[in-house]
Amino acid sequence: MSASTRTVLAPMPDAPNREDLDATWKYLEMGVSKIMTNLQDGMDMKTYMGVYTAVHNFCTSQKAISSTQAALMGSQHRGAHLLGEDLYQNLIKYLTTYLTELVTASKTHADEALLTFYIREWNRYTTAAKYINHLFRYLNRHWVKREMDEGKKNIYDVYTLHLVQWRVTLFSEVHEKVMDAVLKMVEKQRNGETIEHGQIKSIVLSFVSLGLDEADPTKSTLDVYRYNFEKPFLAATKSFYEAESKQFVAENSIVEYMKKAAVRLDEEEERVNVYLHSDIRSPLMKQCNASLIADHIGILRDEFQVLLDNDRYDDMERMYKLLQRIPEGLEPLRSKFEAHVRKAGLAAVSKVALDAEKLEPKVYIDALLEIHTQYQGLVKTAFADEPEFTRSLDNACREFVNRNQICKSGSNKSPELLAKYADAVLRKGTNGSEESDLENTLNQIMTIFKYIEDKDVFQKFYARMLARRLIHTSSSSDDAETSMISKLKEQCGYEYTNKLQRMFQDMQISKDLNTGYKEFEAQMLADSGSHEKPIDASYAILGTGFWPLNAPNTDFTPPAEVSRAYEKFHTYYDQKHSGRKLTWLWQFCKGEVKANYCKSQKTPYTFQVSTYQMAILMLFNENDKNTYDDIVKATQLQGEVLDPALAIFLKAKVFTMSPEGDKPGPGKTFNLNYDFKNKKLRINLNIAVKSEQKQEVEDTHKTIEEDRKLLMQSAIVRIMKARKKMKHTVLVSECINQIRTRFVPKVPDIKKCIDILLEKEYLERLDDDELGYLA
Amino acid sequence: MSEGPAQTIVLQSNDNVAITVERKVAERSMLIKNMLEDLAGSELDSAIPIPNVNESVLKKVIEWCEHHKNDPQTAADDDSDSRKKTTDIEEWDQKFMQVDQEMLFEIILASNYLDIKPLLDVGCKTVANMIKGKSPEEIRKTFNITNDFTPEEEEQIRRENEWAEDR
Repeated sequence: MSASTRTVLAPMPDAPNREDLDATWKYLEMGVSKIMTNLQDGMDMKTYMGVYTAVHNFCTSQKAISSTQAALMGSQHRGAHLLGEDLYQNLIKYLTTYLTELVTASKTHADEALLTFYIREWNRYTTAAKYINHLFRYLNRHWVKREMDEGKKNIYDVYTLHLVQWRVTLFSEVHEKVMDAVLKMVEKQRNGETIEHGQIKSIVLSFVSLGLDEADPTKSTLDVYRYNFEKPFLAATKSFYEAESKQFVAENSIVEYMKKAAVRLDEEEERVNVYLHSDIRSPLMKQCNASLIADHIGILRDEFQVLLDNDRYDDMERMYKLLQRIPEGLEPLRSKFEAHVRKAGLAAVSKVALDAEKLEPKVYIDALLEIHTQYQGLVKTAFADEPEFTRSLDNACREFVNRNQICKSGSNKSPELLAKYADAVLRKGTNGSEESDLENTLNQIMTIFKYIEDKDVFQKFYARMLARRLIHTSSSSDDAETSMISKLKEQCGYEYTNKLQRMFQDMQISKDLNTGYKEFEAQMLADSGSHEKPIDASYAILGTGFWPLNAPNTDFTPPAEVSRAYEKFHTYYDQKHSGRKLTWLWQFCKGEVKANYCKSQKTPYTFQVSTYQMAILMLFNENDKNTYDDIVKATQLQGEVLDPALAIFLKAKVFTMSPEGDKPGPGKTFNLNYDFKNKKLRINLNIAVKSEQKQEVEDTHKTIEEDRKLLMQSAIVRIMKARKKMKHTVLVSECINQIRTRFVPKVPDIKKCIDILLEKEYLERLDDDELGYLA
Repeated sequence: MSEGPAQTIVLQSNDNVAITVERKVAERSMLIKNMLEDLAGSELDSAIPIPNVNESVLKKVIEWCEHHKNDPQTAADDDSDSRKKTTDIEEWDQKFMQVDQEMLFEIILASNYLDIKPLLDVGCKTVANMIKGKSPEEIRKTFNITNDFTPEEEEQIRRENEWAEDR
């Protein structure tokens, strides 16, 4: 301890008699008054300690029981009684007098001068209140605390008491005039004048401080502020903006008005940040939204169509930003947007649809994509990529992709054309595009694919074309193929792409198989010591269930050379996998034949031909002349296959026909043309015939119909197995739900399928339009 | 404010003795703390008058404040906690309170006046421990109280406080 030396100081001034209320209060009033009115002169420690001590002493004195307290304290009052009420009441009296004088003084001020006065007095008063609260802390700690613990109303700690008195005596008299002054200033600012907004901020803070929770004095509420500040403020805002916007709309264009409104909204937001209480933000913005936007909603919405028609992105963005501020503001915009996109899409399709039969897939898909890209851009730039607008875009796209002029001829047209486009993109040599371009194009395909309703149609066509690409090794890149399949898988799930993937696998396995076979063949040749040169052949083993290919629809006897080769392969394959049946799909086989007979040529021509064509050509190794019947007999080919094959030879002048005529057929004789000439050394004679392609498309559509029936039936059985019993109508809608990802089934078709299942006794009819499941 | 050279202030007891203490120590008293904050800027060089406490008690109080100067400040009004319910007193405080009864009561009064709640608590707990487990007669003896109840009054009090009896 530091106080080892004794320093004796001058004695302290006398404190008032602790038991004399009047003397004590007189002493206290002097101190309080000094703090209240003259604090700037400073306060000395002696007075400070004196006042505190006087309060303490009075409250702890034993005998000073005033007359009021004595009356209150009957025999029921138990325990230590605490003194202090007299001080409390005297303090109230003092404050009331003080504040009443302030009210009178305020009457000499108005407008900004009143604000200055209010703020100055408020600051002085609250500072003093803090001091006095500290000086009367003993009263707070004991008498006030006890009163409050006992649940007495209208007793506050000394600081709060100051606020309450201010509210009751002064605020109630002057708040309206103060508020008028505030609103006048704000209006000035809204009209472009500069104001001293610090004053308004101080007023706000003062109003907020006056909010006391009556139920729990330790908490504050915003009630006083809300009622006396927010309410008049919002009313003034309403009338100001109603008048202003009405006039502005009458004198300016809608676009100009939107700009103005946006500026006003920003200003109000800023106003809250700079000098208002954040509590007003939401109601103020609501009021502004109502007066500036909602009141003019009609003309704004009408303008939207104009903006859409003229591609005014910036103005649409403006409108979006305004209307998103009010509830339900955007909904009409969305439906207008949706209708507009649909119309644009349909228009784009009909522009390219003049000749539906000859329509290039690329032209069609590009037309669809262009519209989608354009309006997706609009959604992004003007509508902030809002999900609801995206949905409207999707709806519109789904409409014009699936139901347009092209699709009138058949609803399967869109997926078919899309699949053909995909084929063109993925086939070798059609476009020398870069890898990244290719990936982009695939993504674009997926964009349209997303909107396709008949996804099963796409699947069928895609599978067929993939099969052709694989068999003819005409894919431009394996990576692109896999990428496309994984995209489809992502969209439609494993089942959708299962077969596609299996096709891929089959090709891989076949590659290994061929390598193995080459070794086997070489070994065999070495063993036999033969010097015969085998046909250089490669084979593909395709799983029956996965490939959309059918066995040939004609008989065929392959040439002897080919037979020998494939029988050898057969032996090899049987060794590896015994018991598997191999069906030769001759219609997909092809080969190359060298023409050594041509007189004019030193290096022989090479013909690329189908196996059927090869069989025909081989016949001419024996004879230069063959009749139609000879050919039929030797090859066993049927007319519909044989005729086109011969026609190609004739057209290329490999054969001449006698007697001459336009079509090959019975009774004609074919001669080998020794004078054959061509600019190229390799000549592709393996050309698919138009009618064949058409046939294929029709076949595909037919299989789609079949598959759909099966899909619907299996869906129905699945549902019924789970539910056992179901109403007819519920079953139909459930069935639609399950299948929708593949295609949109028609209700009559589903009913037909239900009938079939009833017939097959998978289902039974019960009472009350119910169906039951028969296990 | 916490670091730097320790600021000292002078307290003046009611028998006019000046005692120099570290400001941080003196601020254990809410009265002094508030006053120093309120009067910040005005002259602090003169002694702070403490009209209700004499030198020996003030020194004793300062001794306690010195020892507890680094205690966390208790929140303004945390009445509710366990602190109130228990009569446990830490060892140093127990030793500190081993003073004669008159000093004990002076310390309680001074801590009440100076608004040093933890010290007031320790003082009251010490008194409570002196009462604990004693019969009324023993209590009267401890505090030197003469029994001014009539037997009837005593009986009535016993009845009313029956619920508090140890059973």
